[in-house]
Amino acid sequence: MTLRLRVRRLAAGMLTATAVAVIATPLHAEDKTIKVGALLPISGPGSYFGVQDKQGIELALELVNKAGVNGYKLEVKYEDSSCSPLPATQAAKRLLEQYKPDVVIGEECSDATLAIMPLMAEAKVPLLNAGSSSIKITEPGNPWTFRIMPNEVMQGVDIATNAYKRLNARTAVLLYENTNAGIGNAKVFNDTFTKLGGKILADIGFGRDVNDFTAIATRLAGLGPVDVIPTYTLEGQGLKITQALMQAGVTKGGDGHAIQLGTIWLPFGFEQKAGKAALGYIRIVQFDPTDQRPAVRDFIAAFKAKYNQDPTHLHPDAYDQITLIADVIKRGAKDPQSIRDGLAATRDFSGVTGSAEFDKTNQNVKMDTVHYMETLPDLSWKALGWN
Amino acid sequence: MTVVLQQGINGVVLGSLYVLVALGLTLIYGVLVQINFAHADIVTLGAFSAYFFMHGLGGGYIPSIAVALAVGGALGWLMNAAIFAPLRRQGNELLPLIATIGVSVMLENAMLAWFGPVPYAFDSPLSNDVIRFAGTFITLQNVLIIAVSVATIALLYAFMKFTFLGKALRAVSQDRETAGLMGIDPDRLVMLTFVIASALAGMAGAMLGPVLVLTPFAGTSVIVKAFAIVIIGGFGNVEGTILAGLMVGLIESYTTQYLGPGMIDIVVFALLLVMLAVRPTGLIAEKREENV
Repeated sequence: MTLRLRVRRLAAGMLTATAVAVIATPLHAEDKTIKVGALLPISGPGSYFGVQDKQGIELALELVNKAGVNGYKLEVKYEDSSCSPLPATQAAKRLLEQYKPDVVIGEECSDATLAIMPLMAEAKVPLLNAGSSSIKITEPGNPWTFRIMPNEVMQGVDIATNAYKRLNARTAVLLYENTNAGIGNAKVFNDTFTKLGGKILADIGFGRDVNDFTAIATRLAGLGPVDVIPTYTLEGQGLKITQALMQAGVTKGGDGHAIQLGTIWLPFGFEQKAGKAALGYIRIVQFDPTDQRPAVRDFIAAFKAKYNQDPTHLHPDAYDQITLIADVIKRGAKDPQSIRDGLAATRDFSGVTGSAEFDKTNQNVKMDTVHYMETLPDLSWKALGWN
Repeated sequence: MTVVLQQGINGVVLGSLYVLVALGLTLIYGVLVQINFAHADIVTLGAFSAYFFMHGLGGGYIPSIAVALAVGGALGWLMNAAIFAPLRRQGNELLPLIATIGVSVMLENAMLAWFGPVPYAFDSPLSNDVIRFAGTFITLQNVLIIAVSVATIALLYAFMKFTFLGKALRAVSQDRETAGLMGIDPDRLVMLTFVIASALAGMAGAMLGPVLVLTPFAGTSVIVKAFAIVIIGGFGNVEGTILAGLMVGLIESYTTQYLGPGMIDIVVFALLLVMLAVRPTGLIAEKREENV
């Protein structure tokens, strides 16, 4: 082979390599991904959260990734954290060690969230939470954990005040699961309600393994007239409690007097599952499908188009977590530290469940859409317009 | 006084459910001296069978109980024929015991794959019919639970005492080898025990379905209590199991009323420890050979 031929071949090779590099560069730019870890309860008593959260996340991903954000695509890796500390810790470790996420969303249950927070802080990966209400999550403050939803104080003070002032309730019985969220929410209601002049007739906590609530309903029925029964449980136990209270003749569904009060924990569709036992049940949600804000209308239309079903109030909670992360990426974040800083600097983010702006404890203090819903005799519900 | 009476009714209902679950466990232990860890999953599968019979095929609740009984029995036959019997033939008693754990894990995960993790709302039409009398109440569902439990216990008793197969089963329970020398086929009777116990578990699932939060792991929430009942009653002792089941049901109700539901497990398992320490043979002390 002559020297000229060698040089020619070398030049051709270099040209080819350069061409490949030129073609590959834009492809590589489009391949830039922000890794989102999702710690959700896919199994166990809180699995209804995980199933619905996943739908909300997938919808948001589809919309966000259509055009990408600042050249980035979002990618989500799901892990089952089971609404429980031990599986949540194991899932978080797996996620951090193997997937190495830029940001993590979840968990739903406070006990699980509290368990994974130290791991996230140690790994310096921001955790965005939209489902846990325990005050311990944001107080005294953790630089790596952010919460969009109202905490137990925000929810509990509001519920207790409305119970006393709008429902003229003077007596209450507290029913709650023995978890950080259950105990915390019940305590806030207790403190606020008694401060206003109301009386707590009984304070009944129970484990998640309790199936039969007839004995609890019987005890409650023996206490005399009760005005309101704030109830803090997951959906499965919530259904059984509501039905037992009806059977014992305590609540309106059983021709009784008491009104059950619930939190964000229960999904839409609870009424249909509980049947007439749910009559008069009042609970708070962060999503009103009749809300006319464009963000809500667009979300509902997109959800129906993708899933051919109506969204429950849990879907937009998860949807907003992804759109908030996309908003932070749009503002220039690209790694765990800058995503954390971007979340902390969030101002006037407007999502389906309301606005987001975090205080110094990383608690969202700009939620403007906490709705009260009442179950009607035909098991539909109406927004009470109390806020 | 009304509350005391009402909690008594609640306790009997709950105890009846526990008895239905625990009877199968105690039967298998009585005959085979083997703990069946898959029992909880047969309970769950019974509940799902009844649920899908009602919601998938449009069947009624009462027929769904028979369906769950049949599914449980068939599963018991299949498990014993395919897994436990061949392992027993190898002469190692530990193998079938470990196999029950394997079957349990397998069934749970199969149900998780088939039915998903989200709780099912299994409503019996009888749950909303409430009979109110002198300040107390009971749903028709609970009346049915008590009636089915009483009928099951009576039929089981009659079967054991008055039929040839029942007597043969007791003979195998007392001494398998001697029973074999008397012309009784122990393998067939062990199979019969598995079928009866699993059928009872399936039926218990159908009765528990409207009470439990129905998920693939539903049975495990009652099985721990069922094990405690079997121990308190005396391992393998049917009468003791019935008595212990009712006792635990009543303890749960009255504990809820006077101490709070958070104390239930403390009281029940404290009783279990006391029984183990003071009366390890169980409430009704008999020789194990005469239990079934």
